[in-house]
Amino acid sequence: MRAVFAFNNTLDKVILEPAASIYRDVVPDKGRVAVHNFLNNLRTPVIFFNAVLQGDFEHALQTLARFLVNTTAGILGFNDTAAELGMEYRDEDFGQTLAVWNMPEGPYIMLPILGPSNPRDAIGRVVDFIIDPLNIWAGNADNDWAVPTRTGADALDFRALHFDTIADLEKSSLDFYATVRTLYRQRRNDEINNGTVDPTISVPSIGERMDDGPALEEISQAN
Amino acid sequence: MTRRSLTKALSAFLLCFAVSFSTTPAHASSFEEEATSFVRTLAEQAIGELTDKSVPREQRIALFREFFTTHFAVDGIGKWILGRHWRKASDTEREEYLLLFEDLMVVSYVDRFAAYAGEPLIVVKTLTQNENNATVFAEIEQPGGAPPVHVDWRVARKGAMYKIVDVIVEGTSMSSTLRSDFGSTIRQRGGKISGLLTALREKTASLRAAAN
Repeated sequence: MRAVFAFNNTLDKVILEPAASIYRDVVPDKGRVAVHNFLNNLRTPVIFFNAVLQGDFEHALQTLARFLVNTTAGILGFNDTAAELGMEYRDEDFGQTLAVWNMPEGPYIMLPILGPSNPRDAIGRVVDFIIDPLNIWAGNADNDWAVPTRTGADALDFRALHFDTIADLEKSSLDFYATVRTLYRQRRNDEINNGTVDPTISVPSIGERMDDGPALEEISQAN
Repeated sequence: MTRRSLTKALSAFLLCFAVSFSTTPAHASSFEEEATSFVRTLAEQAIGELTDKSVPREQRIALFREFFTTHFAVDGIGKWILGRHWRKASDTEREEYLLLFEDLMVVSYVDRFAAYAGEPLIVVKTLTQNENNATVFAEIEQPGGAPPVHVDWRVARKGAMYKIVDVIVEGTSMSSTLRSDFGSTIRQRGGKISGLLTALREKTASLRAAAN
């Protein structure tokens, strides 16, 4: 897994990171947000299907309403007018649906090019690809450019959006592989729980001493 | 008492005073309200003091260390991150670990604050988990109309003292992430705390040298 990670990292350094860097320099904030909104709007059918499969009809309806508003008033989805009206974007995918159906995630895997995953999310990716009307249309109409263009744009959008965070993490973590692994798991859990924080989750305590006095005293108390 | 710990004690005292003073209405203020105003005060202080790029880096490091050690439960977080390894560590190892952990946090986050343009922090809601633990849910606006980033602050109190024990950005906990990072580093280096200390020494030295 670490070998695949090293391979992906090399690819990132050679292709994706420089591309994202240029993209950030050339396209202003507003333009990149517009592209991000457009790509989010294209995900509507997949989000809709998965919200229905999860029994979340409220979110399915909201996703549908978002699509109608953003495709028209939001000019083909470049502007997220729906979010301004209080209907915020929330992604759903088949990996999350399987989690809602209580399928365990399985072991962490590092896929070549695609990055961090697990068996549940890998199955999810395949199913989402198959049910996506955009892919079906591209396949039937011989529009060979559509799928790779969209995939490339998604990758560029993600990499540019998290450019500083990734640079910081890579710089400050001791074991970048382990850091990416835990961040992937935590992010996925957050997405599965739709952003609700589990209040029972373990957190550090203040410790015996409240002030920041000598660590030695703290240590003798901890013994 | 060194000058540093004196100023620390003083600023901690002033902060408590400010918090209790600013949130004391006719009736006793609730833990929820106090936790909320603690986080608000922190955010204002951070924007006011730590984002000025014209201040030399060494000075920003000192300011940030002051801020971090005063308002974050540094020792508590450090111990929690180490988990079961804490018990196996010797006193000398524990002492060095806590100092290196503080150093790592300071030199990794100081430049992030400098890069931060000071977008306001908006508190969405505060929930209490028990009588001494609360979570303040906040959003930080992004430039160019991008969706705001969700940042949740886990606040613990002891008596009149408030400290941050964890920061959760878009569902990812700072403490949990460091726990995985450090735990894996120990495993990679023969299961020994000394391996982690070596890695921490190298990392803090390189971060201190490399930036700018």
